[in-house]
Amino acid sequence: MAVIENNLEAYPVSPHANRGGLKAGQSRMGLLLLLPAAIAFSAVILYPFLSALGLSLFEFTVEMMEPRYIGFENFAKIASDPDVWAAFWTTAIYVTLTTLGTLVAGLGWALIMNQPFAGRGVLRSLSLLPWVLPSTVSAFVWGWIFNARYGVLNAFLMELGLIDFPQAWLSTPQGAMLAVVLTKVWLSIPLFMSFFLAGLQNLDKEQIDAARVDGAGNFAVLRDHILPHLRPVLIIVVVLGVIGNLQQFDTVYALTGGGPVRATTVLSVEVYRRAFEQWDIGYASAVGVLWVASLLPPAFLYLRMLVKGN
Amino acid sequence: MFDLSSRSAKIVFFAALAVIGFFLFFPLYWLVISSLKANAELYQVVPTPFPTVPSLEHFIRALTTGKLPMYLMNSLITSTCSAALVTLLALYAGFSFAKYRYIGRQPVMLFMLSAQMFPFGLLLISIYPLMSELNLLDTRPGLILSYIVFALPVSTYMLYSYFSQVPDELIDAARADGASDLRIFHTIVIPISIPPIVTVFLYSFMWSWNDLLYSMTLIVSEDKRTIGPGLLLTYLNEVNSDWGGAMAASLIASAPIVAAFMFLQRYFIQGVTAGAVK
Repeated sequence: MAVIENNLEAYPVSPHANRGGLKAGQSRMGLLLLLPAAIAFSAVILYPFLSALGLSLFEFTVEMMEPRYIGFENFAKIASDPDVWAAFWTTAIYVTLTTLGTLVAGLGWALIMNQPFAGRGVLRSLSLLPWVLPSTVSAFVWGWIFNARYGVLNAFLMELGLIDFPQAWLSTPQGAMLAVVLTKVWLSIPLFMSFFLAGLQNLDKEQIDAARVDGAGNFAVLRDHILPHLRPVLIIVVVLGVIGNLQQFDTVYALTGGGPVRATTVLSVEVYRRAFEQWDIGYASAVGVLWVASLLPPAFLYLRMLVKGN
Repeated sequence: MFDLSSRSAKIVFFAALAVIGFFLFFPLYWLVISSLKANAELYQVVPTPFPTVPSLEHFIRALTTGKLPMYLMNSLITSTCSAALVTLLALYAGFSFAKYRYIGRQPVMLFMLSAQMFPFGLLLISIYPLMSELNLLDTRPGLILSYIVFALPVSTYMLYSYFSQVPDELIDAARADGASDLRIFHTIVIPISIPPIVTVFLYSFMWSWNDLLYSMTLIVSEDKRTIGPGLLLTYLNEVNSDWGGAMAASLIASAPIVAAFMFLQRYFIQGVTAGAVK
């Protein structure tokens, strides 16, 4: 690659050159470069989003040729629909458990992976694997572990004497919830760990050494230095985690299909079923709109942090 | 970081390492081990910790008798095209956000990023009729276009934050030479941005490769089906559950993405965590 001289004075300035650089008054070029992405964004993200918002005000089922405007009737129906309320409640449990679980395990693992020991590099690389596996694969792996007849979990717990006979985990509401939560925690740990490790990189080691000289133990260092330092990363990880977990569909659908009965029917599964199994598009959109509403608080926090970051 | 000279500290540290490590790695170990067990050994109430007679029967069956190779090829085509498309779009948009000033720049950028909160499932409700109207339902181009949803916002942001660090002087100098903006971008900025470009490509490739929801809904014909729904429908359906085949096929389907990721993980992590950590 040619060596590029950074010093502007080294170049004779052509009379046509804009000395102000790219930033000055070049809105046309900027908008032009943005245009392709803006068109794509509008077509597959913005338009579908607005269209779904609009559809929530229509009745549109599989027997109908045209959607029929019904105002807020879908929302009135939702208010008295125990299934939708149950889906909200299930989602709340799922999001809370997955986010907390990943937070604890991800932070713990990042702290461990930040400690120098033999074989750490290999472990760190390997621990990223759950993140990149296709979601169907993750569901297979955990479905097999939780399998009622041949699952290793049953064998393991029986060996330890914790259960007397094999449990049909995925056929009980709690067991199925445990399975979908563990699957999601498992595949999110690498992402959380990466964020925490990045945050730990610029930790002030001298400050910690000084605290140690003053007699601070491991726990005091963690509480007074490491955790306060990680606070901004912690917040972003929780917000991103909540946004991601609120949306999770693939592993839940592949593992339990939302069952048994409706025990693991989170909002993503609920909306999918209403839309693409019952073809009740208007109603599904209305549930989806409320789903977006539940995403607004974390999304707002996330955006605020990005604005501050800029 | 921690002082592990004392015995109790060592115990706590390695106990935590063992517990979380077991949780992370045992499922992977079990995936590999189970794929290598012949059916007689696989379907035992008390499983063996490793295959007594390792067998490649599941792998051979997955690659020769099933439709897995076709699903893999379909995934490869759709994921590569959609990743290339996302990368191309994000390149110009990211550069525009980073190096130009115009009215509405920041609101537009933030709005694009906030699209992360539009649930993919909700967007799909309207993408489906859209694709149907464009006659793109059950076609690869339709799926490729729909996959933009997953990765375009974050990819744009990742490239934006990289391009913001490219010194303005570098660009100004080339400008002073009389080079056009596009020329500067293509011949100066892109060549020094290969790592983030590869990251973005891999990031969006991963989203498409791992997808189940969109492919399951937008593709009906079996000959265009990708690995997500392909695996699910082939190995665990109402009629039979072939766990050995599922494990072997899972490994085969994961191999390309794992290989690419392992090779590029350093850039990848930098890219994904960019902006969050100052």
